[in-house]
Amino acid sequence: MLRLKIDNRELEVEAGSALIEVIRESGIEVPSMCYLKDLPHFSSCMVCVVKDRKSGKLLPSCSLEVEEGMDIISNDDEIFQARKTSLELLLSEHVGDCEAPCQVTCPAHMDIPLMNRLLARGEFAEALKVVKKDIALPSVLGRICPAPCEGACRRKSIDEAVSICLLKRAAGDADLGLEDSWIPEKEPVTGKKVSVIGAGPAGLAAAWHLVLKGHSVRLIHRHGKAGGSMLKLKEEELPASVLQKEISLIEKAGVEFQSSTDVDEKGFGKILSESDAVVVASGQGESGIKAWGLPMHAKGVEADRNTYRVAKTSVFVVGSALKPSRMAIRALGQGKEAAFSVDQYLRAKDVSGEPFMFNSRFGKLNPAEYAEYLKESVPGNRIEPLSLAEGMSREEVMKEAARCLHCDCRELENCRLRIYSDQFGADQRKFKSEERQLCTKSDQHEQVIYESSKCIKCGLCVRITEKYSEDFGFTFIGRGFDVVLGIPFNESLGSGLKKVALEVAQACPTGAISKK
Amino acid sequence: MEIEIRDIDGIVDELGTESHALIPILQAIQGRYNFLPEEALKRVCELTEITPAQLVGVASFYSQFRFKPAGKHMIKVCVGTACHVKGAEQVYDAVKRELGLEKADDTTPSGEYTIEKVNCLGCCTLAPVVQIDEVTYGHVSTSKVASVLSDFESQESASKKKKYKYADGGEVKGEIRIGLGSCCVASGSDEIRDSVKDTIDRKGLNVKLKHVGCVGMCHQVPLVEIVPTHGEPTLYSKVDAADVDQIVERHFKPEGLVRRLTSRLMSAANSVRDDSRWDGVDRYSLDVREKHVSLFLDKQIPMATEFRGVINPVDVEEYKQRNGFRGLLRALKQKSPQQVIDEIVESGIRGRGGGGFPSGKKWQLVADTPGEKKYIICNGDEGDPGAFMDRMLLESYPYRIIEGMIAAGYAVGAAEGILYIRAEYPLAVTRIQQALVVCREQGYLGKDIQGTGVDFELSVYQGAGAFVCGEETALIESIEGKRGFPRIRPPFPAIKGLWGHPTLVNNTETFAHVAYILKNRAASFNKIGTESSRGTKVFALAGKVARGGLIEVPMGMSIREVVEEIGGGVANGREFKAVQIGGPSGGCVPAWKADTPIDFESLKEVGAMMGSGGLVVLDDADCMVDIARYFLTFTQNEACGKCSFGRIGTKRMLEILEKITTGRGNEKDLDKLEELAHWTKTGSLCALCGTAPNPILSTLEYFREEYEAHIRGECPAGKCKDLIKYEITDDCIGCTLCAQDCPVDAIAFKPHEKHVVDNELCIKCDACRQVCPEGAVITK
Repeated sequence: MLRLKIDNRELEVEAGSALIEVIRESGIEVPSMCYLKDLPHFSSCMVCVVKDRKSGKLLPSCSLEVEEGMDIISNDDEIFQARKTSLELLLSEHVGDCEAPCQVTCPAHMDIPLMNRLLARGEFAEALKVVKKDIALPSVLGRICPAPCEGACRRKSIDEAVSICLLKRAAGDADLGLEDSWIPEKEPVTGKKVSVIGAGPAGLAAAWHLVLKGHSVRLIHRHGKAGGSMLKLKEEELPASVLQKEISLIEKAGVEFQSSTDVDEKGFGKILSESDAVVVASGQGESGIKAWGLPMHAKGVEADRNTYRVAKTSVFVVGSALKPSRMAIRALGQGKEAAFSVDQYLRAKDVSGEPFMFNSRFGKLNPAEYAEYLKESVPGNRIEPLSLAEGMSREEVMKEAARCLHCDCRELENCRLRIYSDQFGADQRKFKSEERQLCTKSDQHEQVIYESSKCIKCGLCVRITEKYSEDFGFTFIGRGFDVVLGIPFNESLGSGLKKVALEVAQACPTGAISKK
Repeated sequence: MEIEIRDIDGIVDELGTESHALIPILQAIQGRYNFLPEEALKRVCELTEITPAQLVGVASFYSQFRFKPAGKHMIKVCVGTACHVKGAEQVYDAVKRELGLEKADDTTPSGEYTIEKVNCLGCCTLAPVVQIDEVTYGHVSTSKVASVLSDFESQESASKKKKYKYADGGEVKGEIRIGLGSCCVASGSDEIRDSVKDTIDRKGLNVKLKHVGCVGMCHQVPLVEIVPTHGEPTLYSKVDAADVDQIVERHFKPEGLVRRLTSRLMSAANSVRDDSRWDGVDRYSLDVREKHVSLFLDKQIPMATEFRGVINPVDVEEYKQRNGFRGLLRALKQKSPQQVIDEIVESGIRGRGGGGFPSGKKWQLVADTPGEKKYIICNGDEGDPGAFMDRMLLESYPYRIIEGMIAAGYAVGAAEGILYIRAEYPLAVTRIQQALVVCREQGYLGKDIQGTGVDFELSVYQGAGAFVCGEETALIESIEGKRGFPRIRPPFPAIKGLWGHPTLVNNTETFAHVAYILKNRAASFNKIGTESSRGTKVFALAGKVARGGLIEVPMGMSIREVVEEIGGGVANGREFKAVQIGGPSGGCVPAWKADTPIDFESLKEVGAMMGSGGLVVLDDADCMVDIARYFLTFTQNEACGKCSFGRIGTKRMLEILEKITTGRGNEKDLDKLEELAHWTKTGSLCALCGTAPNPILSTLEYFREEYEAHIRGECPAGKCKDLIKYEITDDCIGCTLCAQDCPVDAIAFKPHEKHVVDNELCIKCDACRQVCPEGAVITK
């Protein structure tokens, strides 16, 4: 046993322990990517640096063995900045998307690639669940959405964008066609009352997401029918029956609709007093709103951009009441996000709004990368349905969905580079270079796929394949900045990873080597 | 290429099947085939415990190894610092142009030539230098590239066989000493030697011809010193083979009849060309005992280089005559190991490899660490562009280094030592190997050294071309047969080094000093130098200085004294601008700080570093941003790639410098550069990248206005290709030389008229400026 200090706390620890383990056992978090207990250390990612109090030097804690009399600072401003800088350096050469460009672009932030993959496999019901997590009115939006996602679709640079909007519609329509359309399980009742003013896409979405979170929701609107501005659309653009069917599901989920109610100053005051929170989604030009006593700017109500909350009140504002917009999907997305904030508010949490995780992005595909990305897809142009009104057949949907390139990363949830970049607020563009490396996808292995441009050169794969005596395994090839991890003698991924492919995928701190 | 499996089996038989035999095995395979054929490598994996992952990982790490066949002849263009400031990049481009090589190619389609850049050939005073196979060409300019190639080809076709004769015995009237350091050899000392032999023989003189190690006056090579038995010695500089007759005759009168002895066919020696042999170039003058020679030598104190230019490197008898091994024997016989360490502590010597850690303290640490086995390693992996002290010491004083190592082994309790020497230093490797054989024969190595009961054995390990292996932990990894990735310290090698055993790693120069200290006692060493930096330091003085070379000066001497008094100031009447000290880890000290004393602390204070001892003088034609970019190119290329800060930080800094030197930079880039420099310095795992920002930080501090000028699109020194234009002033006399030398016809041929550069066509190869006799070609 020997004695050392961590943040001025005296500890007695076993000789031979790794410093990082000792610090972690003392209850302090230390980030790390290239370190794995029971494997030789390598000190590559440098996010585990701590400070030696005597010399002031930063040292990777994963590679230091404890020593008698060590005096360590586990975290301070400089350490934080060093870790963040290391992440930013790694990000500057990390060529890969976390979430796919389509999802990042979608104002409702829908997980489009996952929907595509489920549809391609014919799992329509599962696909709908993915859609409804973010979009309350898929069949409606599937008809009227201008589909900014398709503008961002990587497939567009190769031939034509995936027909995302119609695919989403197909998922929605398939569900509406069922006798028992899907309604998600609701969270336990909270007893909190929320009033939503306005039944356009923003209000409907807010009501839907709030009711699912277990709150009691009343939706107040001025017309006889709910739908707001969508009611004005022509039948060929949006059949009234589709709109009403999707609204009826919201009602079925438990939202109380109060129609034909004009809200004036007094009415608003009453609603406020009756509710624990109010969502204003009354659209643009609602004459009454100016009299409600809310802070206004030239275009609408003044509210926080992330939480939609009017400062220090229980009022949340979304849609055109906030800022005029003609895009239903934007209003709908705001309704969803506001619901998240309202829920935080009602549960007396810090109202911070829906969190947006860090997303690595790399811009356009280089023509040299088309073939790499097509490896996970199928060739062929976009399928146009015979009649737009009818939409696609089931077979067409499956075929079209298979055109998706799988731009999103397989390790979205587990990627430590992403998690720490988010935690440290790292900026990927900070050390951006003029040239970037090209993406490659090695997919010939049965279990795993290798995308070298996502690799941070930590060498865990080298250490694991060495430990388990793979015939070839992974090795560092080259030196310095240009080093790559690969299989010796240009052998295939299959011969490199005969025994421990899944272990390697599991250990890889990024999505460079991931399970198929 | 057909691989003989038997060859590979033979190599493995000889070198072993353990994983640490890998690098020697690869070197042997490459020696046999000129590259590493995959079949051969696979066979190695079959025969040994080496795995494919280890083999490919290691082979691809070291730049010595090639995976594609190289051409029949290797053209090595030196891009060391001294060559860089004298236009090596343009020379490299010119060679490629001459050979018709595309940008990405390095080998001619016919397989005749392969071109590569090398970091330093150690002939800084002959810069720019190009080596084709064994032939070294000095002072190569872009316009001379074609003649260099045709000269090499004519050499090739004429198989050169000369006959030499020896004089017979009798009373030796004196001694003729010829420098045989790499510099001298590169400048033609072998030819001189042949010529002297020839002369002595023809005239029947009773004169001893003697080979001596580096004299240090590399700016004057080849050097010949005549030492008559009675009378003053005379030193001749820049001697041409053709002048030997005359020199010899001046000092030694022929005796009687010429007696012819059996002629003997000498092996084809290294042949060397430099511009002294070409038309249109002035022959070097034959000055006797010039004043500047004494200036060059008088200010110096040779300790590590004691008896330089006097003793024959491999003659052990002479080494002993001059008290060699005496200090060692006294230590082994009369002192306890602790007393030896105490002497080193008392001397105050600090490590000469750059870091300046007190050597005595390091020895004590190794001695105090318990261990059944301990190692001594001599770090001779000198890789700084523009530094060749270690090479010179190994070549010229092999016994001194060995003596220092044996003493260290005795002091710390190690019975085994390794000399880690760059493979790029073949002469050093040969000399050391010869010396090891002699030492074993004479009982200075092996069991029971000189009857003292002390055992010590030494071996040579050849590096494979990775600058990072100069870092002690990377060096150890390399000996263990791995990629040269540095390890984190602690544990320091003194505690846990080679194969996990306590290991003493010292620089070559440190061991040379140790031998001096033991011989002359600590007091003789620590009386020289400053309070915190004792003794002397060897530097490679090069660049724009009048007299470059290897110098050994007392610590504390000012930069100005070195540059102006020893170096004779800046050459060609230009203005002294700065000194780059410490190579890629060091910094640029501006002329107005030239009174800074050269010691560990003072250099650090001004943003430079002792480093391993490169000292490159820069003048007003040198662009400081270009210098920073140059060093970053080097460190970025040599970074091992292990830690994020070193691997990516150096790359991003280099990209910004490239942006700035090509006129695409902006103000924000300077902030970003400073930020990156800060974090690369703070966060890098080892000193290679940790000190890589120094050239940037020091130039940003002292020459920020130059960076700002580049951002405005100007290169004040007229160096950065993308920011300059060539123009011809009214001084033009219409001699047409520039037009003749222009490789792209950007200057029209107009005899007796003022010439004009067409900047649309100009490729900025600098040929016109170099050839103009009137200095009428300028850059703007």
